[in-house]
Amino acid sequence: MGAEKLLHFAEFDLQIIALSVFGILYAIKAWTMARLPMRWENAPAKGSPAAGVIYSYAATVAPWMMSSATQHWTRWLEFALYHIGAGLAILSTFTLPFAPGMMVPAVRYVFAVFVALAFLVGAIRLWRRATDPTLRVISTPDDYFSLAAVEIFFFLTVMTLAANTPGWRLAYFLVTAAFLFYVPFSKISHYVYWFFARVLMGVRYGRRGVTPRTGGAR
Amino acid sequence: MSQESESLKAARLELDRRFNKTVGVASSNLCTHCGWCVDQCHYYLATKDPTISPVAKAERVRRVYKRHHDWMSQIFPFWTGAKELTEQELDEWVEIAYRNCTLCDRCMANCPLAVDTAQVLLAARGVLLAAGKAPEMLVQLADAALAREENLEFFRGFYLEQLKELETEVQDRLGSDKARIPVDVVGARMLYVPLSGAHTITPPSTVFNAVGESWTISMFEAANYATYIGDIPKAKRIAERILKEAERLKVQEIVLAECGHAYHAMRWEAPKWFGGPLPFRVRSILEVLDEYVRAGRLHLDRTSNPEAVTLHDSCNLGRKGGLFEEPRRVVRAAAEDFREMTPNRERAFCCGAGSGLVAMPEWEDMRLKAGEPKAEQVRATGAQIVIASCDNCRHQLTELSEHYGLNTQVMGLSELVVRALMPGAA
Repeated sequence: MGAEKLLHFAEFDLQIIALSVFGILYAIKAWTMARLPMRWENAPAKGSPAAGVIYSYAATVAPWMMSSATQHWTRWLEFALYHIGAGLAILSTFTLPFAPGMMVPAVRYVFAVFVALAFLVGAIRLWRRATDPTLRVISTPDDYFSLAAVEIFFFLTVMTLAANTPGWRLAYFLVTAAFLFYVPFSKISHYVYWFFARVLMGVRYGRRGVTPRTGGAR
Repeated sequence: MSQESESLKAARLELDRRFNKTVGVASSNLCTHCGWCVDQCHYYLATKDPTISPVAKAERVRRVYKRHHDWMSQIFPFWTGAKELTEQELDEWVEIAYRNCTLCDRCMANCPLAVDTAQVLLAARGVLLAAGKAPEMLVQLADAALAREENLEFFRGFYLEQLKELETEVQDRLGSDKARIPVDVVGARMLYVPLSGAHTITPPSTVFNAVGESWTISMFEAANYATYIGDIPKAKRIAERILKEAERLKVQEIVLAECGHAYHAMRWEAPKWFGGPLPFRVRSILEVLDEYVRAGRLHLDRTSNPEAVTLHDSCNLGRKGGLFEEPRRVVRAAAEDFREMTPNRERAFCCGAGSGLVAMPEWEDMRLKAGEPKAEQVRATGAQIVIASCDNCRHQLTELSEHYGLNTQVMGLSELVVRALMPGAA
């Protein structure tokens, strides 16, 4: 296979295969979770479960809603930058091959800056995990590997966005495909469960009038 | 088959039985081990021991669940730290689930992913119960509640005698010999369910007489220790005693004493156990006192409580129950100088004795250590009176005051109200 054909395969066919496997595995995960038994809250409500769910999701992006974020605002900033970078890196895997017209130099450079910042945050996170006793005691090989794998993905994203040479593109799409195969098996898949967890917490706290707080009598 | 393997077998079965949506999600790859929960936990703050941070505690149980439910952990357990359940692991879980966590929910409320650590550790408590490793004291306390129902006639005479004595105290306080602690009144509006101490009977009885409430007192206690050990069938039976009594007396509502777990169990959990809303309204006495204050039915003199007063948000009443403003309105109406602790309401710290820990003397050292953040919160307010509307918190805060030299008096909300009752209120 020629270099050009290999790049085309990596950008299109391989991505579609990897995405399909990824999608099927995620669907199985979601289905497995959805069919687990559950005793939903059924006492007369003091507050609103729907408002609780909205509040619950909002708390992730609003640092003033959680004391773990207000007490450590730099950590929240790292969290925000890391996830913005991750979002743009993932978006690039679609836009670079499927919507190249959108990826004009200005857009590419803006994306690259954010992903580079996420890369820096990732490096801080890796260093912290290796040195902070409270993190080391709970860390597994998957924790280190996942962080390192995301770092490689971020690095290749930045290089592809900035340099955009066939070599970087090939490395980027091969790693992306490998990444898609690995993610459902690793802790990187946390965001699938996040949707469930936020609903479970939101329904409970909302119905009970905990968050958002319901001050009056029922 | 040996006794040991029998208990392990029972534990494995229970482990599977407990794998519901909440535990399943919290035991999945949801937790990224980010560590945000670490310094949100009163245990970690007090001890700085990384092995008892919320994530570290939950992880011990989660890794066993992962061994059976997570794809990677099934194939390469070393990669995720997954483990099989062993007798040794179970023995270690006893301290993790019972001594080192009060199921206060503060970690979940501050987790960016909403990992429900308390539910994972409650599942572990259920597994330990099935394996015969739950703390004997908690099991006995739960059994005692059922024994009271089974031997009600034996307890009845003694209980009625005690109530008569307490009734005299109520009459003295109100200056009225018409004040009563009514028992078995069919058609009363409210069934009040106290705890075993007089402090949960006399002050509320004084208030009910002062406002002319239509009420009757329960023959049972509100406490439901089975919830602490995750024994739902037993917890259901304990709740059922009160429901049957309420049904027999044809009351409109059940009002629970100042008790965190009793409120949490009857108000929020019992409808799940019984498969639907209960046939009675269930309220805490905090809500009733608040209603009296807002309706102008209680005539209170705030100058009777001139001391600085602070309020402890019990986890079961607050973060797990949604009662934040109700007690505050009552304190403001009954005391001159109310001072908030920081943080408070849904961000409040556990007192360190929740979830049955207060009943286990063998873990007193850890309980007092874990209460240190709360003690410092109290100290910072400069309050002389701490209101604790949960009996376990009340006990702990009294001990914390002694242990950390806080010089505070700890009392229930209804006691504060009774101190402020104007003469001739009845």
